[in-house]
Formats: sequence, C-alpha cells, structure tokens
Amino acid sequence: MSGTVLPARAGRSAPPALVIAALVWITMILLIAVFADQLRPFGITALDLKARLLPPLGFGGTAQHLLGTDELGRDVLSRLIVSIRISLVIAFGATAIAAVLGTTLGFLAAHFRGWVEQVVLMLIDFQASMPFLILALAVLAFFGNSLPLFVTLMGLYGWERHARIARGLAIAANAQGYAAAIRQLGARPSRIYLRHVLPNIAATLIVAATLSFPEVVLLESGLSFLGLGVQPPMTSLGNMVGYGREYLTRAPWILLAPSAVIVLTTLCVSLLGDWLRDRLDPTLS
Amino acid sequence: MLRFLALRLVRAALTIALVVTFAFVVLRLSGDPAVIIMSPEAPAEAIAAFRKAWGLDQPIWIQYINYFGAILHGELGQSMRDGRPAIALVLERIPATLALTLPAFALKLCLGIPAGIQAALHRNSLTDRLVMAGAVAGFTVPSFVLGLLLVLLFAVTLGWLPSGGQDGWRSGILPVITLGLGGAGILARFTRSAMLEVLGQHYIRTASAKGVPWRAVVRNHALPNAAIPTVTVIGFMVGSLIAGAVVVESVFSWPGVGRLLIVAVANRDLAVVQCILLMVAGTMVTANFAVDLLYGLLDPRLRGAR
Repeated sequence: MSGTVLPARAGRSAPPALVIAALVWITMILLIAVFADQLRPFGITALDLKARLLPPLGFGGTAQHLLGTDELGRDVLSRLIVSIRISLVIAFGATAIAAVLGTTLGFLAAHFRGWVEQVVLMLIDFQASMPFLILALAVLAFFGNSLPLFVTLMGLYGWERHARIARGLAIAANAQGYAAAIRQLGARPSRIYLRHVLPNIAATLIVAATLSFPEVVLLESGLSFLGLGVQPPMTSLGNMVGYGREYLTRAPWILLAPSAVIVLTTLCVSLLGDWLRDRLDPTLS
Repeated sequence: MLRFLALRLVRAALTIALVVTFAFVVLRLSGDPAVIIMSPEAPAEAIAAFRKAWGLDQPIWIQYINYFGAILHGELGQSMRDGRPAIALVLERIPATLALTLPAFALKLCLGIPAGIQAALHRNSLTDRLVMAGAVAGFTVPSFVLGLLLVLLFAVTLGWLPSGGQDGWRSGILPVITLGLGGAGILARFTRSAMLEVLGQHYIRTASAKGVPWRAVVRNHALPNAAIPTVTVIGFMVGSLIAGAVVVESVFSWPGVGRLLIVAVANRDLAVVQCILLMVAGTMVTANFAVDLLYGLLDPRLRGAR
C-alpha cells in the first residue's frame, strides 16, 4: 500500500499535498497494526476498576490513559491499537481473497469463453444486483459466526469487480501479439496467464483493490457494530463503536476514537485509490 | 423492442432463480434441517418421521424442485421464534421501513442531483469543491458513525430531537437525515461525472456554437443524456428501499425490516431471514428491470444491443 505499487511513469510530478497526507496516515496506521503488541500500553482485557469511564487527557483525564477508559476501566488507546490491527488484517485478507478469486474467474471466462464465460457473467450479475450486506447476513444466520468464516465471507465482497476487469483485459491481451507468440511457443495456459498476462494488467487490478479496500473496512465495521462480526473478547473498530454506543451520553470518547480512525482510514485509502486510478488508468470507474 | 423486453425478463427470472438456489444451497450446507428443527437429542424414529413428512428422505434434486415449488406458491415457512408465518412478520414491518426510506430517497434526489449538476456546470469552482468534499464524506463516513454523531449533537447535547424509537414524526428526522446524506453524496458524485462527460461532447459545442442559449443547451441536450448513468444508481436506491436501512434502523432502534433481519440473524431464525432475502431479491430485480426499461426509453440505441 506504500509507494512500491507506483510504476515508474507515475513519478513524473509530485502527488498533491492531500494524497501525501493520506499516505502518511496510511503508513502510520500500518505501522500501528504491525507493532500493535509493542505499542499498546495495557492489555485489551486488563481491567482497572478504580479508573472506570475516565475521560481522555485534556478533558479531565490522566496521562496514564491518554484516550480515557471504558466502563470496565479498560484502556481505550490500547483497545484502539489492537482493533486497528484486527480490522486491517480482516480487510487485507478479504481484499486479497476477492482479488485472487475474481481474477481467477475472470481468466477462466476469458480462456474458455462459451458456457464457462456465461456462468461467470451470470454470477457477476447476481453479485452486483444483490446488496452484499443482506447476503452476508443470510450466510451468518445460516452458519453461525466464526472468525475464519467471517474473513472468507468478507473475501466474497468485490470479487465481481476484479472478475469483470480481469476478463475484459485478458480477452484484449489474448488478441495481442505477445500472448499469441507465447502460445505458439507451446506455453501452457497457466504460464501464459500468470507469467505474461497478469503482470501486464496488474496495475489496473491493484487500483481496483485500492477502491474496494475501504468498502471492506466499512462492511466489517458495520457488521461488527451490529454485533454480527468480530466477537468479544476480540475487538475491532466497529466492535468498539458498537460497545461505545451504550455509553454515548456518559463517555462519548469510547465511540469517537474508533469512529475517527474508521473515517480517516477509509477517506485516505479512497483518496489514494482515486489518485492512483487517475494516474494509471483513467478508463476505470 | 419485444425482444429487448423478453431478454430482460429472462434475466430477471434467472437472477431470482439464483437467489432461491443460493438460499437452498446455504440452507442445506448449514446442517440437517431435521436435526436443527427437532434438536439433536430427538429420538431417531422422530427424526426419520420428520424427514418423511417434509420430503427430506428424497433425492436432493427432488427436494430442490419441491423447495422451488413451495416458494413459487408463497410458502416461506414459519418463524421459529413465535410460530407465525415468516411472510406476515416481514410484511407488518415494511410500513415502518418505508416511512424512513421513502423520505430519505426524496432527500437524496433533491440534494444529490442538483448538487451534482451545479458542481459539473461550475467545474473547479468553490461550489464544485464543496460538493465533492461532501460527496466523499458521504461514502467514507459509515452510516452508524454519522447516525451516532447526529444523536450526540441533536439528542444528547442540544436535546432537540429524540435519540431513537418510533413515536411521532420527530423521531424519524435523524434516521432520515442519516440515510439521505450518505446517498445524496453518492448520487452527487455520479451526476457530476455523468454531466462532465456529456458536457465534453461535440453536440454540446455544436448547440452552443449555433447560438442556443446556455440554459437551453443544458436543459435540452446535456441533462437528458446525463440521465442514463444516473438512472442506474437511482435504480439501485429504489431496490434498496426495503433493506437499505439495516444499520440505521439498528442505530435508532426503529422497528422496521432491517431490525427484524438483525434479530432473526442473531437468533438464526432461518425462515424469516430467507423471506427477507427473497423479498430483497424481488425488489432489486424489479428495480433493475424498470431501469432497463427506462434505458430503452431514454436511449433508443440500447434497445437492440446487449
């Protein structure tokens, strides 16, 4: 998600200040997620019953609990740091699953055409025409909730975007000289698609992933907010908002801290994605 | 035109069939319905009798056909919580949901479309920047955060409006604003980019060059052409009238379909979930079908294509 995804030609002019600010925020959030265990001052389940509902520093709180504490005296900052890690891991995992699944189906459709392509197109239509939240809720109702299932389910979000792009671009690539030349040399289809077509269309797919990443964060936090996503004692950003809602009148900081992180992160990734799209591929919408 | 209609109808029917298949597959994958409904401790004979009574002893494809037939007859099962037909439970919640989603839909249209058009007509102006900033906020601020912030401001701090529940029109204001603002942002963004695309076309320049007043160019040439992509988004919004308020209803404890769905999911009340799933699929497909028809009216070129 850092500067490494930019190909050489994107370096012609410096990105706007807003995009740089977004990159700084994203880098910071990533570092927090990676070093969560070193950064958090307290354990997420460590209770301090003498310091319950303590406001943040500057609003009558102490330096020991910078962002205050919740009803059980748990440190909000520590919970926030761990929540960032869990929400990001889920969002990254889900985006990766969606990208791999969508690209594979798109390649299959482009390679076999005929009925395979029709089936893939029908699945794309189905996925695009149903609100994903409802489908996800239905699956959770039928199967119950567990973390692996939840991540897999999130991974079904947005695959149709990758499938559509991969299919279109692979069909176009098949008509070009380089794919035909490799095929004439006797390369297996898997080699053609993975070693030759994929690197040529990767930039577009990465942009698509950048666009669906914030949507996955919103979806995960929404489901966790409803109590149907990440389950306690684990915590995620949406989970914290859902919990903080109970103390809206007495301790709004429990809810405001994770809300701000969700909004800023989705905003920054969207800004970055929009900018990347304009640079790399203006045709993608 | 008839061929166009027929193709669209087939596609709509296929989507519904896919949703029913999805429900059937997920339902069967989640475990043996006999064991789930009778409880695992039930005697073996009772389970066998239950299987026979409900046709669960037959091959899976016959079960599938029977399932399809039952749904076509409107038999959607009973709620496991209070034994009433699932469809009745869902239907009695629909008015409450529509009481939120219809005004919110109007708010989206009245706010989003004019804002998008103004932003496109005055590209890079202050208006444009404000509209775009609002639009980005519209889809990066999740509805539960926006809703809770509104509650914090207008209910807790100022005390002007109730924070939740459903008594009187005043309790509907905050949920409608929460729903409407997010959608208006998305709509404004779409309208703006559709307008910008159209305004760059040759026929707009031709119309201006031959002396047509700018207002007339916008009204007669730009707006109708920009309507096509915008109608798609509006169609999606119509389709989500029934289930588009799941999160917002939860935030404001509003007794609508979304609330029912969340409770049903938490309790694994499968019949109710399935009923809502099919109803949402029905509205989405109908809305998409209507959008396709509108396309045909708006753009004669699309009638033959695709």
